[in-house]
Amino acid sequence: MKEKRTLQGVAKIMGAFFRNHRRMPSYTEMIDLLGVKSKSVVHFWINKLIETGILEKDQKGHLALTKSAFGIPMVGSVQAGFPSPEEEALRDVISMDEYLVTKPDSSFLLKVTGDSMVGEGIREGDLVIVEKGREPKNSDIVIAEVDGEWTMKYFTRKGKTIVLEAANPKYPPIKPRSELRLGGVVTAVIRKYHQ
Amino acid sequence: MSDILFSLHSWPQAILHIDGDAFFTSCEEAIHPELRGKPIIAGGERGIVACASYAAKAMGVKRGVPLHEARKRCPGLVILPSDYETYSLFSRRMFNVMRKFTPQVEEYSIDEAFADITGMRRALRASYETIALNMKAEIAKELGITVSVGLSLTKVLAKVASKHQKPDGFTPIPGRMIAKYLEHLPVEKIWGIGHATTNYLNKMGVRTALEFARLPENTVRKRFTKPGMEIWRELRGDAVYPVNQEEKSTYASISKTKTFSPPSSDADYLFAHLMRNLESACLKARGYHLAAKRIVAFLKRNDFSYTGREIKLNRPSVYPMELSPELRHIFVDIYRPQDLYRATGVVLMELTKDASIQYTLFEDALKAERVHDIYRVMDEVSEKYGKHSLHLGASHFIEVFGRGKRGEPTAREKTRFPGETKRRHLSIPILHVKV
Repeated sequence: MKEKRTLQGVAKIMGAFFRNHRRMPSYTEMIDLLGVKSKSVVHFWINKLIETGILEKDQKGHLALTKSAFGIPMVGSVQAGFPSPEEEALRDVISMDEYLVTKPDSSFLLKVTGDSMVGEGIREGDLVIVEKGREPKNSDIVIAEVDGEWTMKYFTRKGKTIVLEAANPKYPPIKPRSELRLGGVVTAVIRKYHQ
Repeated sequence: MSDILFSLHSWPQAILHIDGDAFFTSCEEAIHPELRGKPIIAGGERGIVACASYAAKAMGVKRGVPLHEARKRCPGLVILPSDYETYSLFSRRMFNVMRKFTPQVEEYSIDEAFADITGMRRALRASYETIALNMKAEIAKELGITVSVGLSLTKVLAKVASKHQKPDGFTPIPGRMIAKYLEHLPVEKIWGIGHATTNYLNKMGVRTALEFARLPENTVRKRFTKPGMEIWRELRGDAVYPVNQEEKSTYASISKTKTFSPPSSDADYLFAHLMRNLESACLKARGYHLAAKRIVAFLKRNDFSYTGREIKLNRPSVYPMELSPELRHIFVDIYRPQDLYRATGVVLMELTKDASIQYTLFEDALKAERVHDIYRVMDEVSEKYGKHSLHLGASHFIEVFGRGKRGEPTAREKTRFPGETKRRHLSIPILHVKV
């Protein structure tokens, strides 16, 4: 008896094709993939997948898997048992961008000009990613303004007193007397050796 | 008068309008903390004030004032070239923060947006006022800029509200309070009421927004056009304009202008700029699959007066190659060698979808198709190597004479990280502090 096509089944077939070929199948290819007889049936399933948010159409009408379809490995309904190696390999990926900049809407780039954090391995010319509006925790590296000067230091709070310490014995610790203005918390360091 | 009720319900709908405070200079203050609170302006490259910080405004420096005038009024003024790359990044972030609260956000301009938060009270577990304040606080925290927020029943009223207290303001106008806020508002301050309507209203003895909103429906219907009627309803708390979350996919017209310095009366140079305006406008139109039926070209004299002409095409086109003879006609017609000009501009109008273009009877259709093919390739080249890497000979004078850019490059243009090119920059704003 012929197997009944389900939404999950079709989604799984599309996902598998995308992983193998790194592109979406054409309607003609989908006829074979789904084992149907005409493009109108393909069209029917495509619309279903778009409705459920697994597929989307871009401005030019090309099909693409949605982000959520990427996030969830599309293994479909698998009965309990030992995971097959194929499923194990289906890990989601994140781009270098997402890895370095976790809060893209509140992050800024800053080129390091001084040597106050050399002990931490942050050198002059390095790029640091600064997250604005993040509450600093002890031993976080922060960008702060103290008495009109901007600096990058370790942040420590003991009770009510805040101490800013450099990772360089050249600079003594600072206890800001007046109000401390925080520019943000350093969340990553980038150093490129080649163009 | 202010106790008139336009709406019995306080919040039949809740529409937000967020307006950046001196947006360009606020972005500059966010990335250059040492400039915070100082009188600064953006627009150095144009020779006029494009945006003045509140400190500069306090010294009498307003938008549109020429630079020399601004310097005179405010000695110590910091003049920056507009850094649209950074402003767009901030703009996008502002809209993204708003979208965390509701998906229904309309990007109205680079520094303004509407949001419909009707029905979001339960989902966000907060009153409409609190949602608005949270949005404002989040923008301040993550972007380091202040915005003014208006909350009301319609887009027109939300705009009234956001203007009410600026900068860093928050004004809610619930249904019961509408009259109070309209009572002292001159009609010309209403969004969508222009010069002509203001004059007309004044002749009718209508000077304030409240007087306008109180006109009987029959009078409004008889004496005003459809937009007038819509604004009248919006002012009364009856939402006519939806918050449109779709990205702009079409344009009524596309215009490109260029101001250069020093001003020039050189015909080749001026025509080259005009040609480049046409190329830029057409490039944008092609991106939206539009073609123009009418074209306006103009020159701006050094005394800020304009001269221009309009031509109607016998069929829509978006190819400078086809349009350049027409542009040349206009130019010859309006150009006077004894005049000094400071800017050129081209406007494409009556835009239609380019798929529906029909060739005229006596036209060489094959040639037209060839032009079409050429531009398809040119667009691919621009995509890869930058706008206008391929251009017509007439606009090449710009490359020869220089682009006539005024003043300093922006701080972003002066920074180039390894791997970045002039055209491709990292999409994160840079903090310019020495640490």
